[in-house]
Formats: sequence, structure tokens, C-alpha cells
Amino acid sequence: MTQKLNTLIGILTGGDSASARSRRLKVLSYLFLGILAVFYLWPLFMLIITSLKPLTEYLKDPAGLPTAPSLANFAEAWELANFPRYLLNSAYYTATATVIFIVSSLFVAFPIARDYFKGSNIILTLYVIALFLPPALIPQFQLILNMGLYNTRPGYILLFLINPIGMIIIVNYIKSIPRELDEAAAVDGAGYLRYVLTIVFPLIRPAIATVTVLHAIGIWNEVILPTIYLTNADLYPITRGLIVFQGVYGNNWPGIAAAVLMLMLPILILFMFLQRYIISGLTAGAVKG
Amino acid sequence: MRIMRKNYLFGSGGRWQRLTPIFLLLPGVLLYFLIALGPSIATSVYSFTDASGLKGAPVNWVGFDNYKEFLFQGMASRDNIAATLRTLQFSALVTFIQFTLGLIMAVVLNQNLRGRTFFRTLFFLPVILGVVIQGLMWKLFLLPRGGPMATIFGWLGIQSEFLGGLPSEAFMWVIVVQIWANVGITMVIFLSGMQTISEELYEAARIDGASNWQLFRHVTWPQLTPAINTNFLLNIVGSLQAWQLFYVLLGYKNGTQVLGYLVFAQGFGQTGSSTGFRQGFAAAASIVLFFLVLIIGFAANKVVSWREQRYM
Amino acid sequence: MKSKWFSVVSILLVAIMLISACGATEEPTAEPTEAAAEPTEAPPEAEEVTLSVLVHQNPPLTEYMEQFNADFEAANPGVTVDMSIVAPGGDYATAVQTRLSAANVDVIDYCVDPCAGFSGAIQPYMTGVDKPTWQQLIEAGLVMDITDEPFVQNFDEASIRDAATFEGRVYAINVGRVSYSGMFVNNDLLADVGVAIPTTWDELVSACEAIVDSGNQCMTLGGADGWPIFVGAYGLLGAVFPDQEGLVEGLWTGDIKWNEGKGLEVIEKDQVFATEMLEPGVTALGHNEATARYAAGDVAFMPTGVWQAPVLEEAAPEFDWTYVPFPGSDNAADNQYLFGKYDMSWMIAGDTPHADLAKAYLAALADPDNYQKFVDATGYLPTQPTATLNSKLGQAVAPLLDTYQVGFEQYWVSPKGAGQWANGSQAASWFAPFNEWTDAKELADQIQADLEAGLASE
Repeated sequence: MTQKLNTLIGILTGGDSASARSRRLKVLSYLFLGILAVFYLWPLFMLIITSLKPLTEYLKDPAGLPTAPSLANFAEAWELANFPRYLLNSAYYTATATVIFIVSSLFVAFPIARDYFKGSNIILTLYVIALFLPPALIPQFQLILNMGLYNTRPGYILLFLINPIGMIIIVNYIKSIPRELDEAAAVDGAGYLRYVLTIVFPLIRPAIATVTVLHAIGIWNEVILPTIYLTNADLYPITRGLIVFQGVYGNNWPGIAAAVLMLMLPILILFMFLQRYIISGLTAGAVKG
Repeated sequence: MRIMRKNYLFGSGGRWQRLTPIFLLLPGVLLYFLIALGPSIATSVYSFTDASGLKGAPVNWVGFDNYKEFLFQGMASRDNIAATLRTLQFSALVTFIQFTLGLIMAVVLNQNLRGRTFFRTLFFLPVILGVVIQGLMWKLFLLPRGGPMATIFGWLGIQSEFLGGLPSEAFMWVIVVQIWANVGITMVIFLSGMQTISEELYEAARIDGASNWQLFRHVTWPQLTPAINTNFLLNIVGSLQAWQLFYVLLGYKNGTQVLGYLVFAQGFGQTGSSTGFRQGFAAAASIVLFFLVLIIGFAANKVVSWREQRYM
Repeated sequence: MKSKWFSVVSILLVAIMLISACGATEEPTAEPTEAAAEPTEAPPEAEEVTLSVLVHQNPPLTEYMEQFNADFEAANPGVTVDMSIVAPGGDYATAVQTRLSAANVDVIDYCVDPCAGFSGAIQPYMTGVDKPTWQQLIEAGLVMDITDEPFVQNFDEASIRDAATFEGRVYAINVGRVSYSGMFVNNDLLADVGVAIPTTWDELVSACEAIVDSGNQCMTLGGADGWPIFVGAYGLLGAVFPDQEGLVEGLWTGDIKWNEGKGLEVIEKDQVFATEMLEPGVTALGHNEATARYAAGDVAFMPTGVWQAPVLEEAAPEFDWTYVPFPGSDNAADNQYLFGKYDMSWMIAGDTPHADLAKAYLAALADPDNYQKFVDATGYLPTQPTATLNSKLGQAVAPLLDTYQVGFEQYWVSPKGAGQWANGSQAASWFAPFNEWTDAKELADQIQADLEAGLASE
């Protein structure tokens, strides 16, 4: 038995070999991947066939293929809710908040990583503490309310300008840049600002990439905060827009499926182009960090 | 007073020029105090009041009453404690299964198979799509009458109401969707970790006569330590606080509540009873969640540093 | 070079954000002047005013409101009505309270769970309970006192007294009652199967059996939304306990218990209702979808509220139906009452900058002609004495309106510390396959235990 286990694991972890056992295991691997893939593709498939049916047909036969596929649901969903605006909102919130966060945290992380001033360690500790603090949902609400930023774009973006985990990842990565570089630049007469922006920033690109991806995904996916803070439909990101659409059209699944697909499409296209960067960004800082 | 240390070399100009880093650092730190640290600390203060959260409503100091009510008062406290336990259960199951499944998937995909990019992309896709799309896809998939999963169950002879049925079953399905949605990240991190392990290490170990299981245990596993630690921490702390899928898939259903959702529901009037916002009480509940996360996160962190010492 | 480009881009984005921030804070609601309701007093240059209104999602209601808003805007030049629609339930409760706290809304439709006017008022025998939401809002000063407004008098005294008054002052106008204790009856199907409309519990049970034997379904409702299951059983509750206010008091004082006597009878009948009478697969139907399903013609009864009548009429105008009380009692005489609750009300935000305009808006809503159209569109039972029930539903229920009773939901307040199963009126939705209970006595014991835990802990 251990012999088989050895062989099994050996072939899996030891790289390729040209033997028959390797081929058998490849078949097993494909089987495993295939079964998993079914559970990723079938929901998508179900979404597609549902969206192509009229409601009456769907009610009679939810799981069957559409008899007369039509794009009517898509046209209707387009009319009923302002999806382009939702997409734009999501993109706007994500891009703006991520950029501001990255720029501001670069300038926080660097002096802390280099321990340039008294108290820099205290500030680092304060960030580490935040890793375990629960979402401060309620006082944040009172804060935004009292600042008069309720139901406004800046108010919503404000909530995403912080990310303690991201900060710590960047700090750790900066520590791997040799201090001699600082000294050399200072000797050359470079200013602090220019040094950080033009030399440090490109060097810590993997960490920045990781943090950017994590942060952006977090903002993009958020559905509770819009429920609390954004009541004007013009300001909805797609997450809120979809939930509201589903709430309004109840169990009209063909319509909902069409709406979901419409919103998935731009995301999918974007993902196809950016996936290499997204995935390598996600892993770069996490694996070596 | 000398604020900057001697190792700061860029300040050749006047005193204000020396303080440039501080000025540039201030916006980030102030934002952090204002939006994260401050409110987090304020939560504990709130938890000692009976604040409703409505503007203009009176706020009174009530000491530990909220905690007493949460933990001890009548049957409601039993439900609160059940929610706490459920949170732990959710986190444990999700972490364990997602971690293991992600590892296996990465191991399988690490081979030179055809279409591996396709699979990798496919499994990672839900992460990009977001909670709402994930939830809606699965709500459709889990329709009790005629949905695809109902069909599969039909082949096995099982009848089920899925999300609309028994709370324990609905809870399990949320776990399934949570894992389905996030195993892509785990897998991708493991994959990248594996791809950095050099062949020479394997060769050297094989020359020394290591068996294949020993190769995995003594070469692959230790070399994967950064990836393992990242996944472990991300999973645990993340799943303790993740409840958005519950919101999308189930709503606030009896027998399925987790602490994060409870905090939101109590604080913003979504519990379905006729009382409104109870933000003081919700703050107390979120402090309970805080202690949970603190203790477990601390333990997880200890495990991580122990492993780092052992393997690196 | 690349990083310079990057910093330029980021500065640009910050600038864009700041500009949009400035734009956002100049919302047009800042104007303190209001447009007058009478055209003769309108200033020559009419100022742009936006009145924001929040309503809950309900298709007949929102269609009516859109028309009403258009008419209101036409009658008041310079006024724009900005109406937000939010799905009822948890999100609606959140929206109402956050928007009032943020002073972000002028007129709201108060339909916060259980959407029963000023329900759950604290009675003398209730100790240690939280204040209901509407009371908290009033005490925080977030709701306007409209006691002296003339349009309040358009409504009947009972609705003002029971659904809109707090400590002697009026804070809302309640625009409709609903009844939920009855069921729709498919006359054609009953005639085909050869069954009469049941008037007692036993007749209902045997009618169901006959219908199922003939290959049809006995009952359907919107199980996916959860609440229709127990709302369907409210009629059962009312039939066994015609004095609902007394029931609440009895539960609080311990004279009535859920696990003995008539209380247990309710739970046991709930089980029969939920597990044997409802068709399989109701958990897949939303409540509007269920009505569409019912209109297909092969289901005999649909126990739900009268608000589905317009939906049903629109879905199947040819459908021959009527609405009768749910026969939950073995005694036909007890099955003649319609129970219900007060439904939505309109309130004005306490510190709205457009007080006069908001009052004009409510006055227009309360105007008898507009109100009649409202009732026709939404199917609510009117709370104005001058309105009449013109619909098919109206004719079906008119004879029962004289003995209309307010239901359990209006009075019930859960004691603090009560467990999650304490509200026995919802028991129907707790039986498998909707939830985990399979034995009526066990559930009843749990309900009573959860209730007593709350009563005991203070």
C-alpha cells in the first residue's frame, strides 16, 4: 500500500516521467479536474440557458434547454435597471480608492520600514493590532453620518482608503531593499520624494501588485457597505444593483440570469486581458513575502 | 526636539525639509486613525451604551448590560452563543476544506497537463465575479424544483429543499459555496509557491535515496511554507469575518446566523423583529467577535511563526 | 518616467474625486424655500425643489405612485419628486432608519417589519421590552407631528387611533388595512371536483383529500419568501383564538400556553396545514410567482392576504375566484371573521427642510379622489370612510368587513431574552421541509420554553 502511495505521490511531486504509471495518473488528474470543472461550468451554463427562456417556459421547465432561445430578457433587463452606470460606479470606486490607498500607504510604509523617526515602531504596532479588530461598522456609520458624507461618492470611497494587511505586506517588502540604496541616492543628492517615487516604488512592485489586487477585489465585491451608505440608485455599484434587481423581480429567474450575465461579461473580458497580472500580482508578494 | 533619526539621510535642507517624510506620512496615518483605528476603539465605548444609532435619540451609559444580555439573558443568549459557535464551525470547516482542496488542486495542476491554464483560470474565476454573482449563480443552481443540483440529487434518490429547508442543511450549502468561491485563491497561491521550488532540490534528495512520500514531506512541504502560512492566515481570519454570502443566499434565517451578520442585523434593524436599530448592543456583539478573532488569530499566528522557525 | 506618469495619473484621480465631492454636496435639496400648493401663490421664478420619497417595493403600489408623482409635479411646477424604491424586509428597515438619521429623505412610507402601522405598542402588562421602531423614531424627533393637519381627518377614527397615534399626538396617516386570514378559492376547480367551500376544519381536511385524489393540488403560496407560510396560517390562529388581543395578554401573563389546550391545537393544525395541504415545491415560489401559479388553475386554495387580489386579477382576469376566511376551527361560527392589520402609513421626516411641501404631498395622497384610485390599484381595505371597494375582492369581502378584527401581529411584543422560537404564530413555517421540526408537541414545548425564558428573565 505504501508502495502505491509512494508511486502516486512520487509521480505527482517528482515532475514528469515517461512511464505508463505517469500516463495513468494523468488520466486520474484529468478526471479530477473534469469533475471539479463541471461544478464551475454548470452553474454558468444554467445561468445562460435560463436567461434565454421566457418566464412562462421557465416556470414549466426550469432545467431544460430553451425551445426558442431569445435575447428578450437581456433587452428587458437593460431597460429595467441602469447597469452601465452600476459598472461605471464600481470601476470608479475601485480605481479611485485603490490608487489613493496605494499612494498614501507607500509614504507611510517607507519611513516605518526604515525606522526613520521616533515612534515609527509604535505606529507599526498600531497597524498590526488592526489585523484582528472587527469591522467597525457602527462607529464608522456615525462618523460618516456626522461628516455629512452619507449617500455621497466621497463618503463611500473614504471607507476603503485603509487596509492594514496591505500596509504590513508593503512594509515587510520594503525591508528587503538594502539600505545602501538609500545612502547612495542621498549621496547623489536625490530628494526624498523623488527617491521614493522613482526608485523604491518600482522595486517593490510585486508587493504593490499583491496589495492592489487584494484591495481592489475587496472593494469590487463589497455588498453590505453600499446597502448602508448608498441609497441613491445612481450611486449603486454592481453588487448592490444586482441585489436590488433581484429583490424587485423576485423569482423572475430568466430576467435575473440575464442581468447577472450582462454584468459578468465586462468583468470576464477584463479578466481575460488582465489575468496574468492579477494572478502574478496576487502571488508575488504573498509567496515570497 | 529631534524627531528624525540619524539614519535619515535625505534632509540636507532646513528643518522643514527634514520633516518631509512625516508630512507625507501624515495623510495615510490620519486616514487610518480616522476610519479604522478610531472607530474600532469607539466600538468598545459604544458597547457600554444603549445607543440606538438614530440621530437625536438619547444615549445612556449602561455598563455591562449589553454583554449580560448577549451572553446570559434568557433563551436569546442561547441563540447568540449558538451564533458564536456557528461562526467557529464555519471558519474551521471552510479553512480546513478550502486549504486541503486548494493544495490538491495545485498539486494536480502543477503537472504539465494540457489545458492547465484553462483550468486555473476557471477555478479562479469566482473570486473575480464577487459575492453577489456567486450567490445568485448558486441560488439558481440550488433551486429545489428542477434545478441542476436537485437533478443530481434525484439520480442519487435524495430529496432536499437546499437553501429553503433545514437550517443545518442551508448552513452546509453556504459553506460549500464559500469554498467553491475562494478555493481559487488558495490554489493559485500554492501553485506559485510550487513553481519556485527548484528541480535541483528534488534531484539532490532523490540521489540521497528519498522515497516519493519523503520528497513531498521534506522538500515540497517545507519549501511551500510562505504559501502555506499565507493561505492559513488568510483563510482563518477571513472566514471568521465573512458573512456576505449568508446575506445573499439566505437572509437572516433562524438557525444559520453567524456573528458578523448578527452584528450587522442588530445594528441596522434587519433582525425582523419590530425593534429598530440597536447599535450599542450590536457593538457589544462585535466586541465578542473581536475577542474570538483575537484569540484564534493569535493562535494561528503562533503556529505560523513556529513553522517558520522550523522550516526556514 | 513610468512612475512620473503614475503620480500624474494618481493626482488626476484625486482631483476628479475632489471635484465630484464638491458636485455631490451641492445637491439641489438645499433650497429652504418651498413651492406653494396653490398655483396662484407660486413665485414667478419657481425655485427648483426636490422632494425625496421612500417607498417599499410592491408593484401595484409603485405603479400608482409613479402616476401620482407625475400628477403632483404637474400641479406644482418646479417640484421634482425623487422616489426611491427598496425591497421590503430587512433592507427596508435599514433604509428608513439610516435615511431619517442622515436627514436624507422627506416623506417615507413606514412599512418596517411587520408593516403594521404603529404595532407592538408597549402594553401595561409588558415589562422590560424594547421600544418599537416607530416609537424610537418619534422620540428621537425624526418624525413630524401632524396632529393638526386637516388631511388627517379624512381617515376613519379607528385607523388614526390604532395605527398612527402616540401619546395623544398623530404622527402618520395610515392608508390601508389588509386582511390575511382568508384564502382565495378556485370556484371552477371546486365545482369540477364536486366539493363545497369548506366552512370548518374537518371540511377543509376532507376537501383537500378529495382535491388531491382528483389529481390537483390543494394549496399553494410563496414559500420562497418565508413569511407567506405563517401568514397563511394566521387565519387558523384567528379562528381558534378570535380575541387576538386577549391571546397576547394571556401569553404574557401565562394564562395561555402554546403547548396545552387551544394553543397546542393551533400548533398541531399548523403542522397539517404546512406539511399536508401545501403542494410540494412551494419553497421555490416567491409570493407573486405563487399567484401566477395559482392562476394556472390546478390549485384549489391560496391562503394569503388580500393584497394578491390585484395581482391575480391581472394575471388571469377570467379566473373565477372568491375569498373566504380560513376555516381553522371545528365550529363554523368561529370561522366568519376576517383578521388583518393596518398596513402602510405615510410619515414626514421631523427635520425636513420642505415641511410645507411635504404636507402638501400628504394632503394630495389623502385627497379622497386620489385615495379611491389608490385603493383600486393596490387592493388595500380602505381606511377612509368615503372610499368604496369596487373590485371583485371588495365584493367578496364586503359582508365580512363589519366584523374585521386586528390580528396578533399588531399586538405581539416578544419579551427580552426570549429564544428564537418564542413567537408561536409563526409555527407553520417551522415544520419540515421549511425548517427542522417534525413533531407538533415537541415544537410547542420549545415555543413555550423559549417564551417563558423571556418572561422569566428581566
